[in-house]
Amino acid sequence: MKQAVGLPIDRVDGRQKVTGSARYTADVAPPGLLHASVVQATIPSGRIRGIDCSRALELPGIVAVLHHDNITPLDSWPSGIFIGDERLPLSDEHIHYVGQHVAVVVAEGFEQALHAAAAVMVHYADTHKPSVMGPELPEAMLAAARPGENQSLRVARGDIDTALGEPAAIRVEGVYSSPAATHNPLEASATVAEWNDGHLTVHETTQWVQGTQRALAAVFRLDPTRVRVVCPRIGGGFGCKALVWPHTVLTVLAARICERPVKLVLTREQMFTSTGCRPATVQRIALGAQPTGKLTAIRHEAVNSTAATTEFVEQCGRSTSRILYACPNVSISHGVVVDSGPPGTWMRAPGECTGTFALESAMDELAVAVGIDPVELRLRNHADVNPDDALPWSSKHLRECYALGVERFGWSARDPRPGSMRSGTDLVGWGMATAVYPAWKMPAAASVHARSDGSALVRCATHELGTGASTVFTQVAADVLGFDMQRVEFVLGDSSFPPAPVAGGSSSTASVSQALVEAGAALRSKLCTLATATSASPLSGLRPELLEIAAGRVVARGDAGRGIEAGELLRLAGQDELGAYAQVSADAGRDPGYSFTSFGAHFCEIRVDPRLPRVRVTRFVSVMDVGRVLNHKTARSQVVGGIVMGVGMALMERLHTDASGRIVNANLADYAVPVSPDVKAIDVDFIDVPDPRFNTLGARGVGEIGITGTAAAIANAVHHATGIRYRRLPISPDGLLAPPFVEQEDSEA
Amino acid sequence: MGPLKPFRIAHVADPAEAVAAAVLTPGSRWLAGGTTLVDLLKLEVETPELVIYIGDLPLDGIEELPNGVVRIGAMARMSDAARHPLVATRYPLVAQALLASASPQLRNMATVGGNLMQRTRCPYFRDTTRACNKRDPGSGCSALDGYTRSHAVLGTSEQCIATHPADMPVTLVAIEATVRTQRLADGERSIPIGDLYVAYGDDPARETVLEHGELITAIDLPSDPWLARSCFVKARDRASFGFALAAAAVALDVDAGIIRQARVALGGVATKPWRSREAEEILIGGTIEPECFAAAANAALRQALPRRDNAFKPELARRTVRLALATAAARA
Repeated sequence: MKQAVGLPIDRVDGRQKVTGSARYTADVAPPGLLHASVVQATIPSGRIRGIDCSRALELPGIVAVLHHDNITPLDSWPSGIFIGDERLPLSDEHIHYVGQHVAVVVAEGFEQALHAAAAVMVHYADTHKPSVMGPELPEAMLAAARPGENQSLRVARGDIDTALGEPAAIRVEGVYSSPAATHNPLEASATVAEWNDGHLTVHETTQWVQGTQRALAAVFRLDPTRVRVVCPRIGGGFGCKALVWPHTVLTVLAARICERPVKLVLTREQMFTSTGCRPATVQRIALGAQPTGKLTAIRHEAVNSTAATTEFVEQCGRSTSRILYACPNVSISHGVVVDSGPPGTWMRAPGECTGTFALESAMDELAVAVGIDPVELRLRNHADVNPDDALPWSSKHLRECYALGVERFGWSARDPRPGSMRSGTDLVGWGMATAVYPAWKMPAAASVHARSDGSALVRCATHELGTGASTVFTQVAADVLGFDMQRVEFVLGDSSFPPAPVAGGSSSTASVSQALVEAGAALRSKLCTLATATSASPLSGLRPELLEIAAGRVVARGDAGRGIEAGELLRLAGQDELGAYAQVSADAGRDPGYSFTSFGAHFCEIRVDPRLPRVRVTRFVSVMDVGRVLNHKTARSQVVGGIVMGVGMALMERLHTDASGRIVNANLADYAVPVSPDVKAIDVDFIDVPDPRFNTLGARGVGEIGITGTAAAIANAVHHATGIRYRRLPISPDGLLAPPFVEQEDSEA
Repeated sequence: MGPLKPFRIAHVADPAEAVAAAVLTPGSRWLAGGTTLVDLLKLEVETPELVIYIGDLPLDGIEELPNGVVRIGAMARMSDAARHPLVATRYPLVAQALLASASPQLRNMATVGGNLMQRTRCPYFRDTTRACNKRDPGSGCSALDGYTRSHAVLGTSEQCIATHPADMPVTLVAIEATVRTQRLADGERSIPIGDLYVAYGDDPARETVLEHGELITAIDLPSDPWLARSCFVKARDRASFGFALAAAAVALDVDAGIIRQARVALGGVATKPWRSREAEEILIGGTIEPECFAAAANAALRQALPRRDNAFKPELARRTVRLALATAAARA
């Protein structure tokens, strides 16, 4: 039978999506539904002196305005629960960051709730000016940082000071910064909460139905079995839907107080402040090397902004400087600076995308300083084993990524001299960088049922972010069951289904597919046994181990003509369905003697019209080593999406905060992300060698690696085009015009 | 989506009815493509009691008059105007500006008349919790101490530094288009576009000379053939769907390398579509050489008053002027 895994299969829900019949969380509308909207703090820090709801309460359709002064405060979060903001909403009068939710308005209609929310008057006192420290003052931010609480991120290998002080060493040092950025997936976060006889049902835009289930059960003091969280599909998440945020708690609270179902959909503007951000970062990197380019020292100091309520450490050095290159002396530290912005959280390759910007820029600076090709520099420093734990890599094909990328891009035609390549009036720059992302795997489970109609039903509480998980898992389930894909129904996004991890850390495919492999094997075995034990079956009396499943039929091995369709077998046996269940640990199928990481190489061409100026990314080639590729179409889309997001990070994205601490570009016209003409040819290829030491299918994750290294590849290309090293993102027109950009054309009068 | 104060909506059959309905209700607004007004309704920056829908009025024709003037109906969609052969061939700068505006979806909705009336993107104007003399006269200007990357460097005052955001009006200022309107009292009138926009001065709430109930019915583009030698250049953060950080609209009448007539207007850097007669004076009689263009560009920005976050704008604007002039000059 033809394997479904590996084929570039279209999304199983593609037709639903393009015809508009796919239902998302905000489409859910139970009878008696009320609508809620949040009121947000307009000061960065201080306290609420009073909330005047009188005008709001007079408006038509208004049901309630809930705030800290008229509700029974919720208990604190129990430990061990992962949440976005550790402060429970409406717990007291204190304001800790701009956009903090200070009230929730409930009304009969959506527009009525929005209008009434604007009519709630909040009076503040003790307003503090926010710290103005940010990535625009990198040295000040570095100086003000305190160590992050997570000291497990600290690395001290060898003797960094001696290595950097070595007189013969070639040293490069730079301070790199990136601004706070927002996830803002197309689908805004939404919650529909309904209480029924002590049971809570929540339709939620979440990358973690069971994490949300546990968090809500904990804060509302319910047995988790009384909480059901449902999310059949997500319109993008990028990390901002991984954890429970205050608006979800407020919606559940409002539904309990109002004793009716309540829906809350965040507005686009609220999305900029209510579900976290990628924090601003400043990173100082010092590299020491021999004249050959061989690294002798990497010092990586990272600092990020964090909210007062929740310490979030952007792990810039964790999967980058710690493991990417063979180097005997490595020092990595992470610090934080409290600011008034929304809490930091995971945003696509958190730490890796920012960390690779700094490290891979510094490596390019070293290549220039040593005078060797950037690819050659990386090959000379290739880590043959994991330099941190000295374990061999389970499967590492980074050298092939470089080689294939060099070939596909035509890198050998590169003139290394900055400003040497032109196209008409454009300066042309070629840059490259390494991509890296750890291979995570977590516990997961799945149930599979063969049904008497000949189909199979597979359940798992995993998630469809829009990236194709349901398609890939249908492929995997079809193969492991021996069914055609068309007969397999894969359902996900329900906390009552078998456990699955958060859709984060690029771990879902690797984790869930392992559960599918084991559940599928169990069901195949049960079907074979049933075929031998059912008297009317043509396989009756044979030994089960002589049978197999192919194309939905139980057949004798080597004699496919002798067999019975699985549905018919169940009908003969008088059974509606036959099920199996498997739960696997993170270690299942993983060899503990190895280190697991995905790698890749980016090559890009940019053009700068020096007359304006603006950077345009005109060509991008990426070669990824992510183990076995289960679906080339969806995997390629993931990498392309990561690169596009990296283009935004490199050239345009930033949250603009003014002196009052408030974000002033909280809309998608003024917060720029790439649009179609910003994205030219993106060529993605995969090494596609399975990593059988990681899991049975040999597949690592692919969701995040695309954005790692992308900003550095672009910044390195800009240096190649202009001779100017831009260490501060984004490299926008005003950034380009900042000194020392030199007029190419005519002189200033 | 944001707050939404309830309002009534009225439909009208012809321009006269649209004008009468507006005059009858001082707190009314016309709605055509809706690409600005609906935004502002959601933000409660605009809170009209009555919205009068005029998008279906038969004012969407584009035609050449016997005297060579090209008349664009106010309800013509920006996308239709951009691709009309009369506009594209005789006024390349206008077509370029239209196509550089917003996104294809927005251009399919937005009307050229509405584009003349587009409101500023100043974040303090759009946030009703901030002080803004334009939205709430006398309340102050949060932008003065605020984040000013997008703000104006020309035509500002201590009352307002909001940038006029639109592209096409900059080109219309450059070519000296005429705006035709209809009023209740005395019927139609023609306003040279240079007189349409007022300097903000002490009353930033007043942006044009139009009275409440005065309906834009058409825009007349002058017949001068030399306007075909023109160019619009826009610098922005991304390749499409971005407001101008700086923009330049220029037209040149050149004879044997000598500039006989010149027009220069700036966008994205001023409180209104900004005609630079200083630049034009330097160009007229000059040569189509980089030195002349640079001198004109410098003159255009000589009065610029940058603030902390928009210090890059004068230089970026000078570059758009030079590039637009060089491109227009190279166009035979």
